[in-house]
Amino acid sequence: MNLITLKNKNAQEVATLLDIKERNAIVKKFSTLGLPHKMTEEYHYFDVEKLLDVDYKTLNYVPKSIEEGDQIEIVDGVVTTAPKGLRVYPEICENIDMEHFDSLYYLGHLLSPRVIKIDVDGDAHVEILHKYTQSHALIHYRIEITNQANRHVTIYENFETDEITNTLVLYGYDMHIAKDSTLRMVRLQTMSHKRYSMIASHRVEVAKNAGVVLKNFDFGGDQALQLLKVDLEEYAHADAGHLLYLNEDSKRGTASQIIHKGEYSSSKQIAKNILDGQARGIFDALIRVKDSAKYTKAEQDSKTILLHEKAYMASKPQLEIYIDELEASHGSTTGQLDEKQIFYLQSRGISHIEARKILVIAFANTLIETIKDTRHQERIKNAFEEVFYASHKG
Amino acid sequence: MSTVMKIENIEANIGDKKILKGLNLELEPGKVHAIMGPNGAGKSTLSKTIVGHYDVEVTGGDITYKGKSIVDMEPEERALEGIFLSFQHPVEIPGVNNAYFLRTALNAKRKHEGKEELNAAEFLREMKKHLEMLGMKSDMISRNLNEGFSGGEKKRNEILQMLILEPEVIILDEIDSGLDIDALRQVSEGINKMKDGKRTFLVITHYSRILDYIEPDYIHVLKEGKVIKTAGPELVPYLEEHGYDGIKED
Repeated sequence: MNLITLKNKNAQEVATLLDIKERNAIVKKFSTLGLPHKMTEEYHYFDVEKLLDVDYKTLNYVPKSIEEGDQIEIVDGVVTTAPKGLRVYPEICENIDMEHFDSLYYLGHLLSPRVIKIDVDGDAHVEILHKYTQSHALIHYRIEITNQANRHVTIYENFETDEITNTLVLYGYDMHIAKDSTLRMVRLQTMSHKRYSMIASHRVEVAKNAGVVLKNFDFGGDQALQLLKVDLEEYAHADAGHLLYLNEDSKRGTASQIIHKGEYSSSKQIAKNILDGQARGIFDALIRVKDSAKYTKAEQDSKTILLHEKAYMASKPQLEIYIDELEASHGSTTGQLDEKQIFYLQSRGISHIEARKILVIAFANTLIETIKDTRHQERIKNAFEEVFYASHKG
Repeated sequence: MSTVMKIENIEANIGDKKILKGLNLELEPGKVHAIMGPNGAGKSTLSKTIVGHYDVEVTGGDITYKGKSIVDMEPEERALEGIFLSFQHPVEIPGVNNAYFLRTALNAKRKHEGKEELNAAEFLREMKKHLEMLGMKSDMISRNLNEGFSGGEKKRNEILQMLILEPEVIILDEIDSGLDIDALRQVSEGINKMKDGKRTFLVITHYSRILDYIEPDYIHVLKEGKVIKTAGPELVPYLEEHGYDGIKED
């Protein structure tokens, strides 16, 4: 399948090309937004057309009988194991956001009408492992998560691959976070160069007085873009952060919209980026405060350290505000490591190279240490240090 | 007089401005040398020049330490050789755990000296006695380096580093600034503990208060980038009474 064939096609042509007989509203939405290209705002710094214009092998998505395991394991888009007591099953997704900014969110739903549905009952810690085993493949799947009111869920999401190459993964979540509940998702992605690229298009709906925490630790090679839309009802809260460590010529990052719909809703979005080689980091983040969202609090900040003169950060924090009664701030800084800090370490006998390493790790730690579970915090620290030291030997 | 460090006719700029203008100073091993002088005399620039700060460009003269020139050495080489600066304003480094930093610094020094590195348990044992003496809470070493520390805590942390690294030439740049009496007493106690007749101290200060706690052997008055007078501790009360204007160049 070559997705570029969907470029500039009307709804009927899209339906024919994808062999879709129903879901007209989604087809229409996709064709109206159009296949993303260089001039599409959210994809402006991401070479999306190169990724889409490839003849990928298509896979058969036949649900398997799910074995009992410690975690949810999804292999090439198909669930193979799940913990006992957790309801994980394929289902047609009916609750689709018809106001998402990303056309690939709709394409994902068209390609994968049956989503992997995860109903989390009660308070729970869930681990999800995504495994990719196919080269030159288009792997597409979507996951829908619901929780219960007044319950607290934490999800740790990890990725593994076989020795694959040039695969494109299109996946994403639809999360419905019930009132008075919280959902925390900690995502760790660390991979070798040129294994697979990823476009992950998420939608998060946060009900009254609920909270979502989304922490994305991305130490990947190649290309990946996370597209995130969060809707906040009254008194709802979102804390979204990413830590990027990129090297060589990888291009990765986040394009997001956080929409404050309800009064007293709050959001905090912190991006930390460490860019080396010729890498490009992306933080294209919009916070929109609707006229219904009085007394909103919104904070947005992106900090970048460039370790190489050819590294580049595309940072675009934006506020779009339709009321007066709110507290909002946004900022973006890009620079080198602090000379005063390097000197302080040197003055204690630590070499210049080692001082730089310590400071880069320190910069990363300020976000990693927001993960309170010590086992997972250590795991993320180790993953970062492994990737970082591998490219800064000596 | 034997010398551990000899500063000969040193000239140094910060940016385009010439700050040190042919400064001469000899440090005697095991002695406490106090550098006093008015604001802008070049006191802090002198300390920066000795430790190789990136702000300073040495344009003339030489500094020898144990007979070897150090002006072309990297800052970490000077530190490993035994030169230590207690900063007037220690920087905060979020994300760097204080204990990790201290152990990394100590192990860098041990490695330089051909000794085995200390593991975390050995290091903490070593640390505990110093913490008690400085009146520091044990949680200070699990916090991030200087982050959110009060002025007094930062200075105590500098002295803690000094005690651990056991340097031979110790430069204390305005160590008393921002300290209350209790903190000053504890910091001074830490410094005096290091006075063993072998280590050399260069106490840089604007006020004489610190010299009530750390008794100097020599007073050097710095003015307009030069040492204009060297005398014994009897000069301190004179300076208290008359200030720096009445001092005539030797």
